[in-house]
Amino acid sequence: MKRTTYISLSIGFTAVLLTASCQKSFLDVPIQGQATTATDPNLAVNLVTGVYNSLYNSEAFGGAGGDIHGISFIAATNIISDDADKGSFDGDQPSLKDIDNFTTTPTNNFVAALWNGYYSGIARANQALAALQTASIDASTKSRLMGEVRFIRGYYYFNLVRFFGKVPKVVRVPNDAQDANTDPAFQTRAPVDTIYNVITQDLQYAISNLPLRAQAGAGHANKGAAQALLAKTYLYRKNWQQVQALTQEVINSGQYALLPDYSIIWRYAGNNSSESIFETQSGTFNNGDIAVGGYCTWQGPRVGGKGGWTDLGFGFDTPSADLVNAYESGDKRKPATIIFIDTSPQHKGTVLYDGFRIPSADSVQNLYYNYKAYASENPNVEPYLGNRDKKQKNVRLLRYADVLLMAAEASNELGQSAQAITYLNMVRNRAGLTATKAASQTDLKQAIWKERRIELAMEHDRFFDLVRTGRAAQVMQAAGKNFVAGKNELLPVPSLQIQLSGGQLDQNPGY
Amino acid sequence: MDYIFLGWRTKWVINLVLCLVFYSFINLAWARHAPPIRITGKVTDGATTVGLPGVTVQVKGTNTGTVTDANGAFSIQADDTATLIVSSIGYQKQEIAVNGQTTINVSLQEDTRSLTEVVVIGYGTQRKADVTGATVTIKGEELAKQPVLTATQALQGKAAGVQIISSGQPGTSPTIRIRGTSTALAGTAALFVVDGVLTDDISNINTADITNIDVLKDASATAIYGARGANGVVIITTKKGTTGKMTVNYSGNAGFRMPASLVRMANATEYANYVSAASGNVVNPGTTSTDWYGQIIRNGFQQNHGLSVNGGTDKATYFLSAGYFTDQGIVIDNIYKRFTLRANNDFTFSKYVKAGISASYSNGDNQIANLNSAYNDAYRAAPIIPSKAGTKYGNTSVYQNVGNPIMDIEKNNNKATDNRLLGSAYLDIKPIEWLTLRSEMGGDWLNQNSRVYNYQFNNDTTSFITPGGNQRNPNSNLTFENTRTFHWTWNNLATFSKKFDKHNLTVLVGTTAEQYTQVKFSAFRKDVPAAQNLWYIGTGNANTSTNDGTGDKYTRNSYIGRVNYNFNDKYLLTATLRADGSSRFPSRNRWGYFPSVGAGWLLTSEPFMQSQQIFDILKLRASWGRVGNDRIPSDSYTVTVQPNLAYPFGGGIATPGSAITQIKDPNLKWETTEEADLGVEFSALNGRLSGEVNYYNKKARDLLINVKVPSVTGDADGVVLTNAASIQNQGLEVTLNWRGKITNNISYRVGANATLNQNKVIGLNGGQPILDGGVGANQQYTTRTDNGQPVGSFYVLQVLGVFQTADEVANYKSATGQVIQPSANPGDFKYQDTNGDGKIDDNDRVFAGSYQPKAYFGLNAGLTWKGLDFSVDFYGNVGNQVYNGKRGFRQNQLDNVERSMAYGRWSPGSGIQNEPGANSGNLPASTYFVESGSFVRINNATLGYKLPDKLLEKVRISSVRVFVTAQNILTIKKYSGFTAELSGNPTNQGIELNAYPTTQTYALGLNVGF
Repeated sequence: MKRTTYISLSIGFTAVLLTASCQKSFLDVPIQGQATTATDPNLAVNLVTGVYNSLYNSEAFGGAGGDIHGISFIAATNIISDDADKGSFDGDQPSLKDIDNFTTTPTNNFVAALWNGYYSGIARANQALAALQTASIDASTKSRLMGEVRFIRGYYYFNLVRFFGKVPKVVRVPNDAQDANTDPAFQTRAPVDTIYNVITQDLQYAISNLPLRAQAGAGHANKGAAQALLAKTYLYRKNWQQVQALTQEVINSGQYALLPDYSIIWRYAGNNSSESIFETQSGTFNNGDIAVGGYCTWQGPRVGGKGGWTDLGFGFDTPSADLVNAYESGDKRKPATIIFIDTSPQHKGTVLYDGFRIPSADSVQNLYYNYKAYASENPNVEPYLGNRDKKQKNVRLLRYADVLLMAAEASNELGQSAQAITYLNMVRNRAGLTATKAASQTDLKQAIWKERRIELAMEHDRFFDLVRTGRAAQVMQAAGKNFVAGKNELLPVPSLQIQLSGGQLDQNPGY
Repeated sequence: MDYIFLGWRTKWVINLVLCLVFYSFINLAWARHAPPIRITGKVTDGATTVGLPGVTVQVKGTNTGTVTDANGAFSIQADDTATLIVSSIGYQKQEIAVNGQTTINVSLQEDTRSLTEVVVIGYGTQRKADVTGATVTIKGEELAKQPVLTATQALQGKAAGVQIISSGQPGTSPTIRIRGTSTALAGTAALFVVDGVLTDDISNINTADITNIDVLKDASATAIYGARGANGVVIITTKKGTTGKMTVNYSGNAGFRMPASLVRMANATEYANYVSAASGNVVNPGTTSTDWYGQIIRNGFQQNHGLSVNGGTDKATYFLSAGYFTDQGIVIDNIYKRFTLRANNDFTFSKYVKAGISASYSNGDNQIANLNSAYNDAYRAAPIIPSKAGTKYGNTSVYQNVGNPIMDIEKNNNKATDNRLLGSAYLDIKPIEWLTLRSEMGGDWLNQNSRVYNYQFNNDTTSFITPGGNQRNPNSNLTFENTRTFHWTWNNLATFSKKFDKHNLTVLVGTTAEQYTQVKFSAFRKDVPAAQNLWYIGTGNANTSTNDGTGDKYTRNSYIGRVNYNFNDKYLLTATLRADGSSRFPSRNRWGYFPSVGAGWLLTSEPFMQSQQIFDILKLRASWGRVGNDRIPSDSYTVTVQPNLAYPFGGGIATPGSAITQIKDPNLKWETTEEADLGVEFSALNGRLSGEVNYYNKKARDLLINVKVPSVTGDADGVVLTNAASIQNQGLEVTLNWRGKITNNISYRVGANATLNQNKVIGLNGGQPILDGGVGANQQYTTRTDNGQPVGSFYVLQVLGVFQTADEVANYKSATGQVIQPSANPGDFKYQDTNGDGKIDDNDRVFAGSYQPKAYFGLNAGLTWKGLDFSVDFYGNVGNQVYNGKRGFRQNQLDNVERSMAYGRWSPGSGIQNEPGANSGNLPASTYFVESGSFVRINNATLGYKLPDKLLEKVRISSVRVFVTAQNILTIKKYSGFTAELSGNPTNQGIELNAYPTTQTYALGLNVGF
C-alpha cells in the first residue's frame, strides 16, 4: 500500500465530507402533528364549531381560556345577588365570599377569569369571522355561519358590558404581539354606548342571516334567539318599542311555547325544548362527557357534619333564605328550583326526582341547593359517562318565559297593561298560580319584576335585573350586604390587565 | 446534495467497507516487517513511588501507543531500536531508548508547568496552555467518588462559574447554570457532548465510566457549538481501553439517604390552639397527633455497583462496563433503578487509519411518588386527623377539604421506564503527517414509557376511618404513554496541524448535520382491575378508551471553522466561526453566524521572566465570542390550529371543532449572547500553588421570552413568545489550588473556587415586565422580571410589622388622612403603602431580591497518609432569596401551621412584629414569604483506605480500597423550609411549593482491581 494511494483515497473522502452543502429542503421541516391555517381543509367551519365550544370555558384559577359559564359566571350572576349565598363552608374560596359580600378587589381571580374567558371567546369569534371571509364555501352557508358567530360574539359583549360597564372593543384579530400591545383598541375601554352598538350590529346581522329555529338545527343560534337577545339588549337600554317589536316577532313566529311542567325545563328531558331559545349543548366526545366545566360540581350538594355519603359537589351558589321566602304559596317553581335539605328529627333525607337520596341536614353542609344545576348520578336517567366535572347539563341562557316577561314589561311601559297582564299570567298559570292582582302601571311593573325573579331564579339574571332597574343598592342593602351605590353595580377591572395595558385601562369607580 | 443527507446510511456502509479494505492491506504490510519485541513495565510517581494509572506510553515516530492500567503497569510492542515516550498530565515527559530491554520501569517527576495538560475543546483537543477561552477540566475520579446519580450533581462546587442546583428526587438531574442565567424561556440547560454526541440529558451516563469532564464556559470557547453554546458546554469523555493485559475493576457503595432538613409542623395541641384563635371556633385537639411529613418521609436505601473490563492490543482496545444503581429516595413508595452498559472500542488499522465506537445502553426504572399533591397536603393537613389505621385512612378532606397525603401517594402508581442507546463511531484517516480527516456519526435513541394507575376508592368506610369528603376516585384508570426519540448527528471534519519554524498552526474545518425526530403515543382506559398483573389497556372498559399522539421533527445544518495559532509558545490566537441553520426558525431568520476570537500571552516564555523564581507559568488571555440559543419548541413561529374543541349540537356525540388560540411571532430569531472574557492563569512555587482568575461580561439579547399580552387579544394562555428581553451577567471567577507535602508520606491539597455574578435585565425592548410565580389562588404572581433587576425578582408587598392595637390600625393613615388598612385587625400585617394612595394593592409591591445568587463557591481539601486518604468538599451559595410558597399556599382556616408560627405568633401585648396573629392564611404576596436563600454545606466527605500491595500480591488482587463517604453531612442555611435549592424557569425560580428535599447520604464503598 503506497502512501500515494492513501492520499488519493483521502482526497476523494475529503471531497465527499466537505462538500456537504446545505440542501435547502433539509431545513424545511413542516410542523409535525399540528394543522396550520394552511393545512386544515375545513378551517372556517371548524373554527365556527370552536366558537360554540368557547361557551364551555370554565377555568377560574388562571388556566388557559378563562371562564365564560363556570363558577366565575355563577358567582358574578347568582352568588352576588340576593337569590343565592356563596355556600360551602365559611372559609372555602374567600374570593367567592368577596363577590358575595361586595368586598371584591381588582385581584380577585374569579373576576379575572371572567375577563379572560369572555375575551378569549370573542377572539375565537373574530378568528372564525376572518377565516369565513376567505373560505371557499357557498355564500348562503357563509352568511349563516357568520350570523351564528356574530350572535355568540354579541352575547359575550352583552355579558361583558353588564359585568364591567366600559370594556375594550375588540372586533378583529391582532396581527402579532406588537399589534396586540400597541393598538389602542386593545388597551383602552370603549364607552358603554359603543359596546351596545357592537352588540346591536352583531345581533341585527344574525337576525338577517339566520333561519328560524325549525330550520336551524338544535343547538345552533337562530333568528329567534338573535331577536330575543336583541330584545333583552334593548330592555337594558329601556328602548321599549324595540323590546316590544322584537318579542312580538318571537312570540308570533310559532316556534316557541312554554313547557307545561316547569320542573322539566332544566333536566335532560327539557333539553332544546319548545321553551328553549338558546342553551349550551352537552353530550359526549372522545368517550367522555362534554359540557360546561364544573357547572354541576361547583353547585352540587356537599357533605358535611357527620358525613358518610358520596356528595355531588362543592356546595356553592346555595339559594338564599330570602329567595326561599319570596315564593307565593303553592308555587310549583319552588320545589323545582330548590333542593331542600331535610331538617326534620326523623332524618328521612331528601329524595330527588331520579331517586337519589341526600341525607338529612346533619350530614350535609348547607340547607338549600340549586335543583336546576342537578344532573342525575344515574346514567339511565340522564346520560353521564362519569366525568363529574363535565356532567351533561345544558345551561339555559335564554328561554321563552323570559321573552314573555320582557314583552310584558315593554307593554306595561308603553301603557298597554292588558297585553302585559296576559303575558304575565301565562307565566304565572304554568307555575300553578292565580292571575296577577296588579293593575296600575307601577304595581304591574313591580309584579313583573317579582315574577322575573321567581321564574328565572338561579338562572343568572337576578343581579343584572336589579342593576338594570336601579334597585340593586336598595335591595342588596336590605339583604344586609355592604353594597356601595355607584360602585358595586359593576365588577372591578382585573388589576393584571390594567398593568398589562401600561395603565391605559381605567378602573371602575370606587375600586 | 441528496447523497449527503438522505443516503447517510449508505455512505456509512461504504466507509466501513473502506476500513476493512485498509485493515487487510495493513496486515499485509506488517507481515513484511521484522517482529517487534514486547516491552512491559511500570510507571511510578517519582516522589511517592505509587503506580500511576492513565500514563501514555508511545513509540516515538509512530502511532503505536498505550496507557498504563490502574496500577501503572503497561505492555507495548516496539522495535528493539525504538524510543518510548512516557507522558502524563502533570508530569515531565520522558524519552527512553529501548535498546533491547524487555522490562522498562519509569519514574516520572512532577511537572510544575501543569498547563501542559491536554484539554477537550469541542471537535478536537488542545494543550491547556494554548487555550484562549475559559474552560475547566474535572477528573472523572473526583466525580465518581460521590454517591450521587449524575455527573452533573457531582460537579457541584468543583468549578468556578458552574452553578449546580441539586434535586433530591431520585432519577432526576440537577439544574446547571454556567455563568449566570442568561435566558428566560429558551431552555437554560447547558449543552452536553458525550463522546461527540450532543444531548441535553446525561442521567443515562454511569459516572464511573467518565475519564474527564471539560466545561467550556465563555462564548469564545463555546462558539464552536454556535446556536447551542449560549448556556455553556459540558464535554464528557468516557474511558477508553488501554493496551496490555486485561484488568477488571469493581467499585461499589451502599448506604442510606435521609432528608437534610425538615419542616416541623404544629402538633395537635398547638394546632388546636392556633386554629381556635384564628377562627374563633374552639377546636378540640383530641387524642391523635399526626406528623404528616413524618408519615410520608422515610430513610431510603441507595446502592451503586460497577464492574469494568479494560484491555487491548496495539490494534484494538476495549473498555466494557456495567453499572447498577438503585435509589429509594426519602418519600414512601419511591424507588429509582438504573442499569447501564458501555462498550468503547478503538481500532488502529495502520499509521494512517483509525476507527472506534463508543456505545452506551441504559435502562431506567422510576417508581415516582405523587409529590405534587402530597407535599402540599402534608403541609396543610390537620394533625388532629389520624393518618391511617390498618387499611383505613384518616379522612382529612371531610374535615378540611385537603387530601390525606399518604393516600395521595398510595392510591397512585406512577412508573416511568426508559431505554436509551447513545453512541458514536468515528473513522480517522491521516494521509499525511499534518492532516487528519474524521467522519463521526452519533446516534441517541430513547424509548420512554410511562404507566400511571389510579386506584378506585370511595369516600366510605371501606377506605376511610370516617366516611365523606372529596377525596375519592370512583373509577380506577390507567394511562400508558410511549415516547420514542431518535437524534442523529454526522460530523465531517478536517484538521490541519503543522509547525513552521516557530509558528504552530492548527486549522479545523467541517460540516455537521443533525436531525431529531420524536413520536408520542398515549392510551387511557377506566375500570382497570386493581391487580398489578392486569395493568394493561386491554383489561379496561373499552367504552372509556381514549388515545392521543403527536410528534416532533427538526433539523440543523452547520459549518464550522477554527484556527489555532501559537507563536513560539508565547503568543496564542484562536478564532472560530460557526454557521448554523435550524429548521425551528422562519426561513428568513434561519441562518445564524457565530464568530469568536481569543488571544493569549504566555509571559513565562518571555526572556524577561526567566530570572524570576515565583511563577512557573503565567498566562494572560482575552477573548470575545458570540453564541446563540435555539432551544424553543418547533411550532413557535407558526400559527397552528388547536383541534378537538368540539360541540355537540342537539346532544349526543359532538362535532369536532378547532380554534386558533395562540398568537405567534412570525419573525422569531436566534437568541444572541456576546461575551468578553479576561483571564489570568498561573502556576507558582514549583507547582504548589496554581490558580486562575477570570472576569466575564456576558450580554444576551433578543431573548426569547413569553411576553404577557392583554387578555383582550384572546391568546388563550395570555403570553406570546417573542424576542424581547436582554439580560446581562457579569462576574468574577477565582480558583486557587495549593498542594504540598508535610513528609514523604503525608501529602495534602486545598482548593477553593468562588464566583461572583451579577444578573440584571438590561432591556425589555418595549415589552412589558414579566409577572410570574403564582402561588395558589390569592397570589397570582410573586415575581417580576423588569429592567435593572435580576431575572425573576420577587415583587411583593413590604411588611412593615404587625398591628399591635386597634389604635395603630386607625392611625395608619396616608398623607391625605385616609386609613390605609381599614379592615385590618390587631395581629394583622401592616403593609407599606408604597405609592401613598391610601390603600394597599398591587401597585404597592416592591422588589425583594431574586433567586439569582450574588456568589457561589466551593472548597475542597484532601489528605493522604500512606494508604489512607481523606477528602472533604464544601459548597455554598450566598446573596439570593427564596419564596416560601408552601406557606403562601396556606388558604384555609383549618390548615395546619408550622410549629414556629404556632409559637412565634403575635398575641395582644406580645409586641411581635415578624409573625402575624393566628390567621386563616390567604395572605397576599409579601416580604413575609421571602427568605434568605444563602447556605453552605459539607457536600461530601470521604475517608478511604487502600490495602498495602504486599498483602494483595498473595491473593492476586492488584488493588483494594475501602471507603466511607457522606453526602451533605451538614447544611447551614437560614431558610426555614426543606431546601433552598429550587429548580424552575428563570422567571419563577426559587419558589418552594412541592420541592423534593435535599437529602443526606451515608455510604460504605469498596473498589477492587484485578
